[in-house]
Amino acid sequence: MSSDTLSRRALLSRRTFLQAAGFTLAMSALGCSRPEPSLRAVRPRQSPLAAPGARVQYATTCGGCSAGCGVLASVRDGRPVKLEGLPGHPVSGGALCAAGQASILGLYDAERLSRPRIHGAPVSWSTLDARLQADIAAAGGAVRVLTGTDAAASPTTRSQIDRFLGGFADGRHDVFDVLSCSAIADAHEATHGVRAVPRLRFDLADVVVGFEADFLGTWISPVEFSAQYARARPALHVQFESVVTLTGCRADRRIVTPPDGLGEAMAALYRSLAERAGLDRGPSRASSGTGRTGEDIPGMAARLWRARGRALVVCGSADPALQRLANGINELLSSYGATLDLTRPSRQRLGNDKALETLIEELAEGRVGTLVVSGVNPAYSFGSAWRDALMRVPVLVAASERLDETSSLAGYVCPVPHPLESWGDYEPVAGTLCLRQPLAAPAGQTRTLEESLAAWMNRPADAVELVRRRWRDDVYDPASDGPSFDDFWDRSLREGRIDRAGQPAPGGVFNPAAVDGTPPATARTAGTLMLVGYPSLSMLDGRQGYNPWLLELPDPVTRTTWDSCASLSPATARALGLGDGDVVRIESDRRGGDAIEVPVVVQPGQDDSVVAVPLGYGQMTSARFANLGPAWIGRAWPDENGGLVGANVAPLVAAGHGPSGPVAARLAAVGRRRPLARAQAPERLQPMDGAEAWGSASAGVVVRIAGADLGSADILPGVARRGAAGLTLWDDHPYPGPRWGMVIDLEACTGCGACVVACQAENNTPVVGRDEMGRERGMHWLRVDRHFLGGDDDPAIAFQPVTCHHCGRAPCETVCPVLATTHSSDGLNQQVYSRCVGTRYCMNNCPLKVRRFNWFDYAREGESFGPALNPEVTVRSRGVAEKCTFCVQRIQEARLVARQEGRPLQDGEVIPACAQTCPASAITFGDLKDPQSQVSRRRSSPRTYSLFEDMGLLPAVHYQALVDPGAAGEDEGHGA
Amino acid sequence: MFPPPADVATGRPGGPGRPPVRTVVLAALCIASLGLAGWAAMQWRRPGNDAGYMPVQPITFSHRLHTAELEIECAYCHSFADTDRYAGMPTGDTCMNCHRFVNAPSQAVRDEVWAAAREGRDVRRVVSDAMRKLYLSQGLDTALEPIEGIDPVPIEWMRATRFPDFAYFDHRAHSRVGVECATCHGPVQTFERTRQALDLSMGFCVACHRESNLTGIDGVPVEASVDCVSCHR
Repeated sequence: MSSDTLSRRALLSRRTFLQAAGFTLAMSALGCSRPEPSLRAVRPRQSPLAAPGARVQYATTCGGCSAGCGVLASVRDGRPVKLEGLPGHPVSGGALCAAGQASILGLYDAERLSRPRIHGAPVSWSTLDARLQADIAAAGGAVRVLTGTDAAASPTTRSQIDRFLGGFADGRHDVFDVLSCSAIADAHEATHGVRAVPRLRFDLADVVVGFEADFLGTWISPVEFSAQYARARPALHVQFESVVTLTGCRADRRIVTPPDGLGEAMAALYRSLAERAGLDRGPSRASSGTGRTGEDIPGMAARLWRARGRALVVCGSADPALQRLANGINELLSSYGATLDLTRPSRQRLGNDKALETLIEELAEGRVGTLVVSGVNPAYSFGSAWRDALMRVPVLVAASERLDETSSLAGYVCPVPHPLESWGDYEPVAGTLCLRQPLAAPAGQTRTLEESLAAWMNRPADAVELVRRRWRDDVYDPASDGPSFDDFWDRSLREGRIDRAGQPAPGGVFNPAAVDGTPPATARTAGTLMLVGYPSLSMLDGRQGYNPWLLELPDPVTRTTWDSCASLSPATARALGLGDGDVVRIESDRRGGDAIEVPVVVQPGQDDSVVAVPLGYGQMTSARFANLGPAWIGRAWPDENGGLVGANVAPLVAAGHGPSGPVAARLAAVGRRRPLARAQAPERLQPMDGAEAWGSASAGVVVRIAGADLGSADILPGVARRGAAGLTLWDDHPYPGPRWGMVIDLEACTGCGACVVACQAENNTPVVGRDEMGRERGMHWLRVDRHFLGGDDDPAIAFQPVTCHHCGRAPCETVCPVLATTHSSDGLNQQVYSRCVGTRYCMNNCPLKVRRFNWFDYAREGESFGPALNPEVTVRSRGVAEKCTFCVQRIQEARLVARQEGRPLQDGEVIPACAQTCPASAITFGDLKDPQSQVSRRRSSPRTYSLFEDMGLLPAVHYQALVDPGAAGEDEGHGA
Repeated sequence: MFPPPADVATGRPGGPGRPPVRTVVLAALCIASLGLAGWAAMQWRRPGNDAGYMPVQPITFSHRLHTAELEIECAYCHSFADTDRYAGMPTGDTCMNCHRFVNAPSQAVRDEVWAAAREGRDVRRVVSDAMRKLYLSQGLDTALEPIEGIDPVPIEWMRATRFPDFAYFDHRAHSRVGVECATCHGPVQTFERTRQALDLSMGFCVACHRESNLTGIDGVPVEASVDCVSCHR
């Protein structure tokens, strides 16, 4: 053997070496190479709908909250796998929130009720119908139906309920919203003679003043409002609030106001405006001019007055007096008919708290013989105040998806299908009629409420028949919809909704006498803490309290997961000697509430007089998550709250007939600690020497604010691009085709977290549970960081979605010893799971900390949602790193479709899940090499920067800086 | 520096002379047999190498008969290969397009005709076992009349060609540029019972992708990506 051959032999290529090494492994694996036979069942008949495994999209209506967004559901092989916003829908506008994204998981929940039950025993529907009819007749008394807005805003369900109740001498349908807007409707009844919640148009408003109305996060129709707000950002947005909300974080001026100071501020504003309008309605013209917050109310009034007809004042309070003040202000500002529409009102919150008050009195007096509850959970929302009354109802019927606090009390439990399994219709805004169609065969023996009511009226019918009949009789108009009802029906189903201009309802006439300029009396005595139950972004009205995606979604502000925490301002926490994780016992004098024990979280920016606890937690349906997550030797979390996730604060703040204002709370430390499972450490960013974490001019910044010179080229003068121009050991990538990239507009981002859940749904990201989240082992590929700027009392808060930046010079790629992460020709930083051996070098070398490690076989050991998995994406096993792929499955699908059609890929054809769902359209994706692409145009904006520019990462993700509200002139918009 | 040790058996001094022929032959044999064993093992079964996997199917279906003899196009049954990711398995009603009329092999029918003539009786309807199963899956009896209370059910074919779960293959991308079915599925027209013909390993895929980028397919240039994420995602 010549030395020449030897030396060539010695230069074994890496691949040959691995093949040789693999050989020994192959010997040991002989004979067991095929794990199990694989069945390939095929439909007996050819389905005309779709090829196997192909994605078909159907329009339907979301059931995640009562806003009624239109959705497109992707169905593969007969099972829905992903929801997306329905483009062009008047409510969703093509986007979807976190709760909507997560609602698909409920379809695959094994704990849904599958059979009707009488007193706990499973029976057949015919047995239940017969016995129930007999029992209703025997019980006598009044018949009441209590539903949420979902049933009330559905024309078919509502008419079905009315027909059912028409068969009894004393029948009434009551509507209850957990997040009630009853006060708004009541106030409009007083001031305008119309009991309605007006439809709001933030895109038509130049000046928006919000009083405790979290319209970008949880209030009425957040997806719609976020889109409007992002599309035409008001020139000035002032928010008065006590608890930190997403809306407050995005406001130009966020004024921390105690809940009882709200009335004073509103009254002062009203009086100021009334003076300008030439009305003399205030009790004293010599009002101080500044509210308790020291805010310049007359100045604000002047600004509003200049924007008459283009101004909007919204109030989220449950106090009708405050709502009447808001109406008075809006009337003075000529907002009605401009930014508020009472002629086509919103139907997304139809609850009536006064009717509910009557109902609970009737229940207490035993006048109700039969109560049908559907879509609401009063035993949870009002605690023992209602629980006792419900138990005394002779015939209690619960139409429910799961066994919850109310349906477990009911003698008759009627399982209802998931919204993705049922026929139905919905009218979120007067004149906009949406259809809901089933996308999967119902699991179990379920019946929609309208089907059950039809059976109890001895006129059994399928839901589809009921909806079709209703649409044929009341919606279809042969003159405008064409001669064939079937064509009209098919068209409506395909588009998901129709718009019926029709005759607008009378808008009402303003009654000035209904508005009183005196501030409402304040009930609080100084020194008491006020308990505020605020709607959390993930739980909303609590209907998805069982949903692990939402329970693991970090709260955007407190960044806690898997818990309900009591937020205290830093000053109050200091005064009480409490810190993060100290468990406190909270009591109020509300009748139905048991004391709760929750950990404290210190929240800068919150009012000092408030202790805030999120609503929607501590539900019976969350009991199954007590031990969620891998069982291993290091598990340390104690089980509290009886195994429920969080604690139920609703009864402590509820007035027995819907939410009340804040109530006086008694708070005491328990002397125990409960470590928080936080997705982000509470510490502020610690900038390196000479750099600011925030600022407009320094290299290495994380969040940047564009200053007054917005639009000039040297807005980022400090960015020397040292690294970009500096040394590198490797050749730069040539990118023969496109280079995929993303621009995220921080000015548009509201921090709502829809992208996080959309990514989880699209990419089969596992749920890890509280224990693992507490160890910072969350698996979300996309996170939304929360950053504070300024002091503890009134910090500005910015949100920043961070995902893999697919760096052109990626630190992760250079350290992987097995080349499991490499750069693709189109600029993706590709992670090959089957090659990864789990060294985690890549994770340690990533400056953005966007890589995740599978510490366990979460898919098997955790909560597994097999059928909900996206078949387009690999389910990762234990011991491999993973991260954002820019939804490479969507890139490839779009590319294949384009090739199939023999054309080049168009800009905007590839939309990752996060960008698709973003209500504010903050995320743009596309080819960075194409100068005409939307992403390139956004990238060349002077506001655009990238993270850690001094590192020379050449990232594919860029950010558009926040706009300094002080810098933009008072009358200028937030453009560029 | 040290003298080489003496050979114990012969007493001849060791050293840089020619080694005995026997030793060379033995060593060569050892190396050759080890190598052979290794090569054989690698060819036989590598992990994930399912070449030759030939499951028993619920109905004895012959690709040879249908494609080679009867000259039915692949796409007649696997109709989604050009347009979708999965080529698709034919549903029972696709089979019934022909088997509504074809109940048994022609030899069996001829035999029955002869037997009937010999025995002087009417020719009986001949239905093979395979067809009986097919009809039953469609809820039909041998006379093709619906059977009371029996719904059509899927035929549970066993998948012969399987790709690992961590790799994604798309039929349309390949059929569009003219890759023959046989390139990956082998000479299916010769199979009495369907089997996985090739190992479909990553090397197999990548070699073809690299080669097609150089030579094109049937002379037409193609873009066959060799990025990891093309298949692993």
